[in-house]
Amino acid sequence: MGLGLVESGKMPKPLSKLLNLSRSYSMWVYQWGLACCALEMGAAFGAPRYDVMRLGVIPFPASPRQADLVVISGTVTDKMAPAIKRLYEQMPDPKYVISMGSCANCGGPYWDSYSVTKGVDQIIPVDVYVPGCPPRPEALLEGVVLLQQRIKDEDIGARWRGEPIVVE
Amino acid sequence: MSSSDTPDTDVTEAEAVEVDELREGVVARLREVLGDGVVEHHIVPNCDVWIRIRPDAWQAAASSVRYTLGARQFGFLSAIDWQPSPWRRYMDSEVDKAVHGDEPKPLPEMTTGYAGGETRFQVFARVANIIEHWGVTLKVDAGDTDPAVDTWTKVYAGADWHERETWEMFGVRFEGHPFLRNIYLPSGFEGNPLRKDYPLLSRFTKPWPGIVDVEPMPGTDEEPSSEEGA
Amino acid sequence: MTAVSDRQKLAYLAGQAADARVNVELETEGMVLNIGPQHPATHGTLRIVARLDGEQVVQAEPIMGYMHRGYEKLTEVRTYAQITALINRIDWVGSFANEVPFILAAERLMGIEAPPRAQWIRTILFEMGRMANIILFLGDMGIQVGALTPMFYAFRDREFILNQIEAVTGGRFHPNFDRIGGLKDDLPKGWIEDSHTAMAKVREICDIMEDVLLGAEIFEARTRGVGVIPPDVAMQFGLSGANARASGIDWDLRRDTDVGLPYGQVDWKVWTHPDGDSFARYWVRLQETREASLIVDQLLDTIPSGPVMAKVPRIIKVPEGEAYVATENPLGEMGFYVVSKGDLNPFRVKIKTASFNNLSITPWLLRGVYVPDIITILGSLYFILGDLDR
Repeated sequence: MGLGLVESGKMPKPLSKLLNLSRSYSMWVYQWGLACCALEMGAAFGAPRYDVMRLGVIPFPASPRQADLVVISGTVTDKMAPAIKRLYEQMPDPKYVISMGSCANCGGPYWDSYSVTKGVDQIIPVDVYVPGCPPRPEALLEGVVLLQQRIKDEDIGARWRGEPIVVE
Repeated sequence: MSSSDTPDTDVTEAEAVEVDELREGVVARLREVLGDGVVEHHIVPNCDVWIRIRPDAWQAAASSVRYTLGARQFGFLSAIDWQPSPWRRYMDSEVDKAVHGDEPKPLPEMTTGYAGGETRFQVFARVANIIEHWGVTLKVDAGDTDPAVDTWTKVYAGADWHERETWEMFGVRFEGHPFLRNIYLPSGFEGNPLRKDYPLLSRFTKPWPGIVDVEPMPGTDEEPSSEEGA
Repeated sequence: MTAVSDRQKLAYLAGQAADARVNVELETEGMVLNIGPQHPATHGTLRIVARLDGEQVVQAEPIMGYMHRGYEKLTEVRTYAQITALINRIDWVGSFANEVPFILAAERLMGIEAPPRAQWIRTILFEMGRMANIILFLGDMGIQVGALTPMFYAFRDREFILNQIEAVTGGRFHPNFDRIGGLKDDLPKGWIEDSHTAMAKVREICDIMEDVLLGAEIFEARTRGVGVIPPDVAMQFGLSGANARASGIDWDLRRDTDVGLPYGQVDWKVWTHPDGDSFARYWVRLQETREASLIVDQLLDTIPSGPVMAKVPRIIKVPEGEAYVATENPLGEMGFYVVSKGDLNPFRVKIKTASFNNLSITPWLLRGVYVPDIITILGSLYFILGDLDR
């Protein structure tokens, strides 16, 4: 039932709403913690105070092949960039990326360094940018909530066909 | 207060010069062992001591300082490129204009620091004696165009990684090192980043965005002016 | 209290070496195991290439640089105020502790002394940074060995200290609070009482960790006698901090050097352990955390009143000279060698970090060790990637 409807683009609205809702509340987050933002991500995801599991997001997948969301937190260097690209390619569709912290957004305080990639969106497509240096755990949780809203408004057919995601 | 080799003590200053016996003793003992391998020294009293070594006595200095003087704790080893950078701070912010003036100034001459130096590249290392509680910075001239010094790995095994880092950042070769190769930079990296003639290209392509957020100095009631925090 | 006698230590080392020799003679094929750069057990982006023979390591080498951001080049184009904002990201867990040696070096070159209240508060925040850092280690070491629960305790209890640091500086672990000549601001009202409560909580978590991990048989079995570092080798490689003290070297920069911080006016002791194995390193760090909370308690009771900032010119140009100041940071000895030419920005800043020296011993240390012990040893040496790669 499901796949034929998605491919032909004739997915009925209630069904697509239900699927989007269930997808957004059952995400598995792979924490790609590189630098200082990894601590705030650890506090947001693993610590009891800023618990992310109450949003339905489980932060403990065993490998990137079992994750739908990756949070890239910390400075991306030119030496590390191929590993990030390979990680992104390992994730199965539909996959989402949250870029956390100003180093991953745009190079951050190291914008003029000779060994830093100025922003992870030079390598992989990013869905949500969370600014801050480091962003508070609550800011990261807001980023996750924002992503969940976007997923709820998504058109599954368009995503399957590979069309660019439109943000209203 | 410096007590370097060149005799330039003022009569009035001589009365105010403190004598740091511990560090003077260190220099004297090193001079006993190395003779004229010790070229120059500089002492900031009750603070620190810098000793410049002749290049062919660099390895001998390492063993003397470790075994005879007892400085067994290895600190670090790195290099300095004394040539001033042709681009200074790459920008004319308000602070630079206020300090240096509007007209482009000529490049300053190359000067070296404490305990002198004759070449563009200098390798310096820090070791400490943790029983008598003193540390010493040893410097050696490495050369102008193809800098090279002897290795310290035979005396301090920890110098291995420091010399690798100095090699990839400055291009200073270490004779006798087991295997000089990249430690921080990816293998295809071209150039030696910490040399002063290696430009930071991001600063050329995008100028400094300017003052975004200003805070006044604590304790003053002044209005924050554009000269703050450039 | 030596649980592992010298004879036992030598027997362990000799046994490992003999095993390695036999395996080489038998000419068994080695396997190359690549751990990292993204791996939950390596504290970040460190890659270890280990050539194995069966379960034993014949040769292991860490490959770093995945977090190299070029600090020393960046400091050459930034003013001193901008550098202060940048360097607290070197050891990103030990917040305030990164700024202190650089500011002290700049103050030494300028000939300025910060007022006593500023030095007191600096030391308090420094020790809080130490506690935040080491509490993370206490939990993290559990994960390396396989115990998941201490990590949650650690994260929960770090929050108390981070709250205190945030109340003063506004940032949880990148405070950017130190200025040449003093501090940015004074303490908020009620901070001292709250900090006393936080220190009591720190002592509680130390007691919990002592029961849960140090008293656990599995932890002892996995860490006693593993990764023994003799003191002479430790000094040769430049090990510092708790790693050196766990090998019996009685050296603590807070007690042995005088950089202006008021450690001499507080009653505290330096903890050492003669064994030099992973258990000793964990034990020393635990005792140090408790000691740090006692230091902070005493300092909080004796803060002098007065200004927090000395008179400094508005545009800071540091006079010509060189200075090296090193302090006892949570990871070890962190020092800044500042070369100044009298300009707005320094001429060269050499950042000596503890993790670089601490990790340089691993090619020597990991020979003949079993694969699970690699993780234990790296965990007990405790390095932070920002500190390692700069």
